[in-house]
Amino acid sequence: MTGDTHYDLEILAELAEGLLDDATALEVRSHLAICDACGESLAGLAAVRELLSAVPVTAMPLGVAMRIDRALESEAERGGLRLVEAPDWDEIMKDSPWEQPAPEPQPAPVVPLTARRKKPRRTWGMPVAAAAAAAVVFGGVGLATQFVASGSGDGGVTVAGPAVSPEKSPLKTAESAWAVRASGHNYTSRELNGPLLGYFGPEPGTGSNSDEQTDKCVARKANELDRQPIAVDRAFYNGQDATIMAFWEDKTINAVRVVVVGSNCHSLRPEGLATWN
Amino acid sequence: MLTRHIEGDTTAFSEIVKRHRDRMWAVALRTLGDPDEAADAVQDAFVSAYRKAESFRGDAAVTTWLHRIVVNACLDRMRRKSVRPVADDELIEAAERDMPLPDQTAEREVSLEVTAALKLLPADQRAALVLVDMMGYSVEDAAAVLDVPAGTVKSRCARGRAKLAPILSHLRNRTDLTRVSSPKGAQLRDG
Repeated sequence: MTGDTHYDLEILAELAEGLLDDATALEVRSHLAICDACGESLAGLAAVRELLSAVPVTAMPLGVAMRIDRALESEAERGGLRLVEAPDWDEIMKDSPWEQPAPEPQPAPVVPLTARRKKPRRTWGMPVAAAAAAAVVFGGVGLATQFVASGSGDGGVTVAGPAVSPEKSPLKTAESAWAVRASGHNYTSRELNGPLLGYFGPEPGTGSNSDEQTDKCVARKANELDRQPIAVDRAFYNGQDATIMAFWEDKTINAVRVVVVGSNCHSLRPEGLATWN
Repeated sequence: MLTRHIEGDTTAFSEIVKRHRDRMWAVALRTLGDPDEAADAVQDAFVSAYRKAESFRGDAAVTTWLHRIVVNACLDRMRRKSVRPVADDELIEAAERDMPLPDQTAEREVSLEVTAALKLLPADQRAALVLVDMMGYSVEDAAAVLDVPAGTVKSRCARGRAKLAPILSHLRNRTDLTRVSSPKGAQLRDG
């Protein structure tokens, strides 16, 4: 009660909601029977409910509805990732060296392997994508190095490991290796949200790692994401020179993170997800 | 419908959105009092619902579940940053966007004043009043949405009304409060 004369609004509101114990409620009701001011206050509380309920319901503005529809469409595209089945490794690996006759020797630039490669050299014949996939399947980038950086004087070598030496690499691991492709394709944002394997493979990449700037950039991004890229393509994005990198995001759902950078290694597009199929 | 969505029916969630979006919009707009914030909150909520669909256990109505997500999205936004005060001209502009009919001036004024007053309340009281007094839900339904006991909803409503009463007292005797938005409002109006 206020000054032993009137009850405050909160007590009256609690009375109206049936929140007061019986004794207090009886006391307040007795007071209300003789106090016009408190009665008025109680009526004021009821009026608040009426005012609140009188605010008209408005339909969602069309612009907001459209915006939500777009957001959900985008989510559906991403959500579709959950429904993508496991990659068809038989299909992906059908061009693998052990499935194909050795290619005819052809003059081609040879990029020497780093000194850490100890195992016997193999003739290149494996798609970049398959090599990258194999690297993941077999659980080690060291194997990927073995597959993608292959061949020497016997020709046919178009793919190589990183130009930066393990010692100079900013990566946490010294086993960095990726295949650089130079498709020259002019990617659109839509394409980079969809299946990517068709752009990165299945034919072997034709680029090399002779571009130290590119390699440094790839190494930097790999370090930032704490994982090796499974494919790198020197191409275009919306007409600009760009390097497109794909990193596994979630192999179980076939999802890859796509990084697009320009010539100065600055991002041309926010990182996004795509599918590796 | 939600089951169809979970099972991969790509049209099912769109149907859910169409069915509930106006109601969700009303809740968000009234809770946040800012059309832009409300749009963001509803979008976040629907995207979140889309992602969380598989976690829906069916122990509550889909409507309650959606309301909970929307209200939580609103409360999150209010907690993350205090929603900036809305200038009068913005409120008028928003009201005109939402209520384009020219003969609703009085209603618009009431709406603007109520919206401004609601923003003075703590978030939990505001959310409770929006659901119970403005949307006309039962205390039990509001409690389910807010995931608190019914007594807590009543208490929040009581404290909220007590704070609003002096602020809105000048609107009490308006005779133009004939249009109501909820059964509860009709009941209060008609006795």
